Amino acid sequence: MTVQTERPPSGPVDVVKRDESGPAGAGPRAASRLGALTPYLLLLPACAATVLLLGWPLLKDVLLSFQNLNMAQLIQHVTEWNGIDNYKEVLTGEDFWRVTLRSILFTAVNVVLTMILGALVGLLLARLGKRMRVTLMLGLVLAWAMPVVAATTVYQWLFAQRFGVVNWVLDKLGWHSMADYSWTSSQLSTFFVVTVLIVWQSIPFVAINLYAATTTIPGELYEAAALDGAGGWKSFTTVTLPFLRPFLYATTFLEIIWVFKAFVQVFAINGGGPDRLTEILPVYAYIEGVGNQHYGMGAAIAVLTILILLGLTAYYLRIVLKREEEEAGL
Amino acid sequence: MKRSLFGRLWPNVTAVALFIGFVFPVYWMFATAFKPTGDIISEDPVWFPTDVTFEHFERATGVDHFWTYVTNSLIVTLCAVVLALVIALAGSFALARMRFKGRRGFVIGFMLAQMAPWEVMIIAMYMIVRDASMLNSLVPLTVFYMMMILPFTILTLRGFVASVPRDLEEAAMVDGCTRAQAFRKVILPLLAPGLMSTSLFGFITAWNEFPLVLVLNKETEAQTLPLWLSSFQTAFGNDWGATMAASSLFAIPILILFVFLQRRAVSGLTAGAVKG
Amino acid sequence: MKRKLISAIGVAGMMISLAACGGDNGDSGGKAGADGYAGQTLTVWVMDGSSPDQWQKDVAAAFEKKTKAKVKFEIQQWNGIQQKLTTALSEDNPPDVFEIGNTQTPAYAKTGGLADLADLKSEIGADWTESLNASSIYDGKQYAAPWYFANRVVLYNKKIWAEAGIKDTPRTRDEFYADLKQIGEKTDAEPLYLPGQNWYHFVGLTIGEGAELVKKDGDKYVSNLADPKIAAAMETYKKFQALSKAPKDKDEATPQQGEVFGKGNVGAFIGMGWEAGIAIKANPKIEKETGYFTIPGATADKPEGVFLGGSNLAVAAGSKKQELAKEFLRIALSDKYEGRLAKLNGVIPNKESLQTNLKGNAVAEAAAPAAAGGGTTPLIPEWAAVENAPNPIKTYMTAVLNGKSPAEAAEQVEGEFNKRLAQQQ
Repeated sequence: MTVQTERPPSGPVDVVKRDESGPAGAGPRAASRLGALTPYLLLLPACAATVLLLGWPLLKDVLLSFQNLNMAQLIQHVTEWNGIDNYKEVLTGEDFWRVTLRSILFTAVNVVLTMILGALVGLLLARLGKRMRVTLMLGLVLAWAMPVVAATTVYQWLFAQRFGVVNWVLDKLGWHSMADYSWTSSQLSTFFVVTVLIVWQSIPFVAINLYAATTTIPGELYEAAALDGAGGWKSFTTVTLPFLRPFLYATTFLEIIWVFKAFVQVFAINGGGPDRLTEILPVYAYIEGVGNQHYGMGAAIAVLTILILLGLTAYYLRIVLKREEEEAGL
Repeated sequence: MKRSLFGRLWPNVTAVALFIGFVFPVYWMFATAFKPTGDIISEDPVWFPTDVTFEHFERATGVDHFWTYVTNSLIVTLCAVVLALVIALAGSFALARMRFKGRRGFVIGFMLAQMAPWEVMIIAMYMIVRDASMLNSLVPLTVFYMMMILPFTILTLRGFVASVPRDLEEAAMVDGCTRAQAFRKVILPLLAPGLMSTSLFGFITAWNEFPLVLVLNKETEAQTLPLWLSSFQTAFGNDWGATMAASSLFAIPILILFVFLQRRAVSGLTAGAVKG
Repeated sequence: MKRKLISAIGVAGMMISLAACGGDNGDSGGKAGADGYAGQTLTVWVMDGSSPDQWQKDVAAAFEKKTKAKVKFEIQQWNGIQQKLTTALSEDNPPDVFEIGNTQTPAYAKTGGLADLADLKSEIGADWTESLNASSIYDGKQYAAPWYFANRVVLYNKKIWAEAGIKDTPRTRDEFYADLKQIGEKTDAEPLYLPGQNWYHFVGLTIGEGAELVKKDGDKYVSNLADPKIAAAMETYKKFQALSKAPKDKDEATPQQGEVFGKGNVGAFIGMGWEAGIAIKANPKIEKETGYFTIPGATADKPEGVFLGGSNLAVAAGSKKQELAKEFLRIALSDKYEGRLAKLNGVIPNKESLQTNLKGNAVAEAAAPAAAGGGTTPLIPEWAAVENAPNPIKTYMTAVLNGKSPAEAAEQVEGEFNKRLAQQQ
């Protein structure tokens, strides 16, 4: 099932259908062999790029993860294999597991918040009048478009300890202890700021696209539901939700990837602090590897991070795999 | 009719509240950038900049090599996006329109590629580029940025290609076009909005990227705007006027692009993803 | 629109190909030809603020005159410098000469990234002050050349102190505290700008208490933060930090404390003398209001303990311009320019004979009394890893400032601290 929100103008109506063979240049046989090769040729640049630019670094990373690679080895270009020592050290330490658990919780909280709030905003968009809708869309688009690096800077200013507008508002609202509150001083408050930032930036994507998807639901479906005596809630669960399901799956998948990899936001707001308590996996890999100049260790953590991300998205990938199978006869 | 008045009112009230919530950080960035320092560090916030000053912008753009950063960022971003679009268009056409063995494998492959956590592979990428003697050049940056956005671009474009009715293509071929001509004359124009909306994502990603350029390019001549912004922030951390001016300058190109393309952008950005 | 975009891309493409060619600018060998080293450029990394622009200009001119080669100074930030330096040293074109902090030198000497400077030492370094040269020697070999040394002083705003009715600069820690209190009560100024993670100052306080940051456990180094003397130093820090509105989880470079002081609303801060330059750059009017005094100790006869910060100049082992790099060191470290740097920045030069340059220098006169009681972090290769972000000592400081007891905080960071000291090299 496909949600197609783009509706191209309908083409010429009376088309005489003929056999699909172009003006013959080569013999039909050669043409069909070439035809069989065409998709592969078309995919060749993309695949070559992926293998070279993603596959190679990935392979290199895996190789590095079996090496003892620190300042001296990097500077002198020495390769020192150390087997699975890096993995042993990472997997037997408690840090890694703590960070992994934290990463998963962090991703879950952010994705759930984004999806629920985003869906609500999307449904709200569908209920609004035209002028109000365009206005709200504009606001959403502005938030969506803010480059992450600029957005994190702005959030640091909003939540600044001195002269930050958030502290001022909280103070005026009666929380006087918040007047000079340092949001980066504790794990929870740092995560709070990061979460607000991420959710603020992610909602527009979900909301706008969900709204666009709802506009493609055929009206007849609702009429049929109404004939069956379905009320507002019932028609929502029997018509809207099933229609939007693939869309929700896909968006959740994208959000999981994006939130899990939210390196810049976490790193820029507080560098994984205080006391390394807000490090999520990508930040942990970076700090252990690049920051601590323990590059082999960093590579091992990177490999494990990729495996964990694969695990998190496996369910969705299975669905896709199944669907592609069904669609094989496209 | 109390209920219906309320029923009409609450969506609008909520919408206004949401609008303020979403716009405020952006507004506050610009407002701070234009306010004199005295108004920025005042006990009670000055909500609207009354006397506008450009001193913060002067300070932000007065940094050495500012225009080098701007040019570099533009070059790298534009090249990466255009390259990705061209490569992705070919691939997505095959995935959307043709039947062949292993199609499913390609789709899954690109979805996996889309998940790549680039930040954790930085040192591997650094060593590859270093050993190829390509440091301090814009070329590796461009191709890696291209790769970062390629999978998403392919999967999204695939949806757009699939949405172009087959009949149109066939009709064109009936009129004597080759398949390639049909693609160029019929499908491509219809894909234009799709291409634009897909490119937005690429623009943002490439424009923002910062951990990689930090490691690869130590020479200022080959650095980009995100580095400028972050170093600026380190040195002038509490000079919020200048920092916000810098952030504003950094955000403006993307904001303009988005607002300009938004109508086309919002319709069906997920089409491809959903399809995939 | 479309056409414009296309032409922009065309230009972009051209510029890329140009950029790709621009990489190698004929660094063919390092030998002097008939024309000296004409056409070559030596890259020198110096840290932000450590040498004045004028000094760089003069050295560059003298260097060009002697060798016909050019020198390009590149200003670096302390923040993240180790990560940048490590990768740079592994590259084909590393910086030829670079400034390196004395506490970081042993670790880099051990990596093999620094060229052996034994011949230079015997040529120009016979009378380098031995204690200042200690960090440059690893395993009996000379891996760097001592450049300048400095310890922190109090930089204060004379106008604000006068406004608060204070006549003399304080001579003891208690007087200092009382003066700052008075400023807080009598003026609108922030009495002291002291961020929670000015860890060099904290190290100074521990030196003043006679404490060590690490201790030996068998053949390994481990944390000694649980020492009550360290706790005492931290209590002093905390007492003064409470007078400041500066963030408890930032160091003195984010934002640059000189920048903050330059705004003219801060009574004093603890920093290097040359940080006044940062303030003056931001606000030239602050120059005549800035004064310096020695950080007062517990009693009037003994100033506060200080961290003897310093920098060495090293040559990259991978540099293809070894001879030219040494030529640069001969000029930069010559009595003339070494002396001038001491004079301009009020820093301690690498030879005792050059200390005459410090006469009448307000910064140096404020710094000198404390220097005798100064010290450094442990000069062991294991130390460099400790300074990588997030530095456990900074974490310790913020934890105490946020209400933990020093013992609790020491226990909290001990694991991380020991892990870094034991990190495989």
